[in-house]
Amino acid sequence: MSTMSTTSHPVPAVASRGWCAEWLAGWNAFWFTPADPLPLAVVRICTGALLAWSAFVWLLDAPAFFGADAWLRPADVWRMNDQPWQWSWYFAAPEMSRPLALLTLGAAVCLALGLFTPLAAVVSLTGLVSAANRAPLTTFGFDDTLGMLLVPLAVGPAGAVLSLDAMLGRRAPQPSVRANIALRLLQVHLCVVYLFSGCGKLLGASWWEGTALWGAIANVQYRTLDLTGLARHPLVVNALTLVTLWWEVGYAALVWPRLTRPLVLAMAAPVHLGIGLAMGMMEFGLAMLVANLAFVGPETFRAVLAPVMNRFPRSLEPSERLA
Amino acid sequence: MPPAALKHALKPWSPAARLAASAPIAIYLAAVILPPLAGPPPASELANRLLQPFRPLVGALSLGHGYRFFAPDPGPGHSIRWTIERADGSGLSGSLPDCDTDRPRLLYHRRFMIAEKIAPLVPPADAPAEVRRDARAAWLPLVKGVAGQLLERHAGTRVTLTLVEHYLPGPEELIAVEQGTMADIVTPLGSFALAEGTQP
Repeated sequence: MSTMSTTSHPVPAVASRGWCAEWLAGWNAFWFTPADPLPLAVVRICTGALLAWSAFVWLLDAPAFFGADAWLRPADVWRMNDQPWQWSWYFAAPEMSRPLALLTLGAAVCLALGLFTPLAAVVSLTGLVSAANRAPLTTFGFDDTLGMLLVPLAVGPAGAVLSLDAMLGRRAPQPSVRANIALRLLQVHLCVVYLFSGCGKLLGASWWEGTALWGAIANVQYRTLDLTGLARHPLVVNALTLVTLWWEVGYAALVWPRLTRPLVLAMAAPVHLGIGLAMGMMEFGLAMLVANLAFVGPETFRAVLAPVMNRFPRSLEPSERLA
Repeated sequence: MPPAALKHALKPWSPAARLAASAPIAIYLAAVILPPLAGPPPASELANRLLQPFRPLVGALSLGHGYRFFAPDPGPGHSIRWTIERADGSGLSGSLPDCDTDRPRLLYHRRFMIAEKIAPLVPPADAPAEVRRDARAAWLPLVKGVAGQLLERHAGTRVTLTLVEHYLPGPEELIAVEQGTMADIVTPLGSFALAEGTQP
């Protein structure tokens, strides 16, 4: 796994190697091994950009989403979610729907830039949760995924590298346990998402029959790319459906071994970009791909981002600092 | 970074620190795993009972998702057709969502979700009267909200709404006939006036 590759100081082995001790040692190594914050920083930049776009779109019609006379009236929100736990700042000030959506947009931009990152992450998460809890009639998988991304960003040192904070000397880039915890939270959450998404599909006959993808292709409400020509190629539809199904079902198990991880991650790109291009949900597809970045090792990002990082030496990656 | 600071940064957490961090990690993981285990149906009573203590955290972080994307089977799409009457006698009609005017695509998709989330609550027009009456309590308040927003948006005095289930053709059907000629299933939702609420 990506963060394991950055291990510099393994957690001391426990004295007894009994079954419980092995579990304890495994838990400690999994969660409390210092990790390079670079992958978290990349996730932060992408998540901030996606949330900024989402907030901009909320802003286009903010009163209709969050106001007193919205599509879903405040008094009816309880019908769609778990009140009073699903709080929202829009409940307190429905007339402030535009300024509050604008605040979310500002926080998301700061998050992407890595400016006042810890505060930006918390405000971004607050804005996202407020929107999702106030307007459940208009949310979908994209919003679920943004929430999954933002919690780890609020927990970990997401602004330690590739950020204005780092350039201004506010953050000291270094491997840290918090970075590891944040990445682990995202990795585990992503596995949960794919596991339940895959298992839910196993209840449907069309997924077993290999025809489910046709249901998406033929649905005019979703369609942004006409693939109805596949009506004459049922075996292609079968193959696409079955690959999608078993990839999702197997993701949680196969993404961890080094041998299968590259294949599992490589599959994420066509699956999510395909959904984005053909079904008009590019934001959702990109958000899921960003979540998959939590499994990409820092050395990969370092190779890809070397020109940028060399240009801005103040945002050096930890290995450079360590040297 | 000075060597001393670096050594401190890479120092493993103490057992007490690891224990203190493990508790919130475990609680968060439970709040992530239990909601999809407890719903949507079919779901066990046990999962629902286990979820109860975590409801505040699940709600506070908006973690209550089932993650059943396009499951168990991808179904037909829906939209809500509307016709508005204005005080001056003029009229206006449209659809929610409208792929021609709802741009960018994310805005379209958010409005599309309104029809998609109301549709499962509305029985078909040929369902038994008792079923339709019982279901009405669930969908009518949501539809009233949509009606109110449309009236405000278009300065109308009365709006009539119809739920449209767009026919989902099989591959053979699509090859045999043009998709536009296939019959959608329409379910009247009612007519709503601005001042006095519902007037179906």
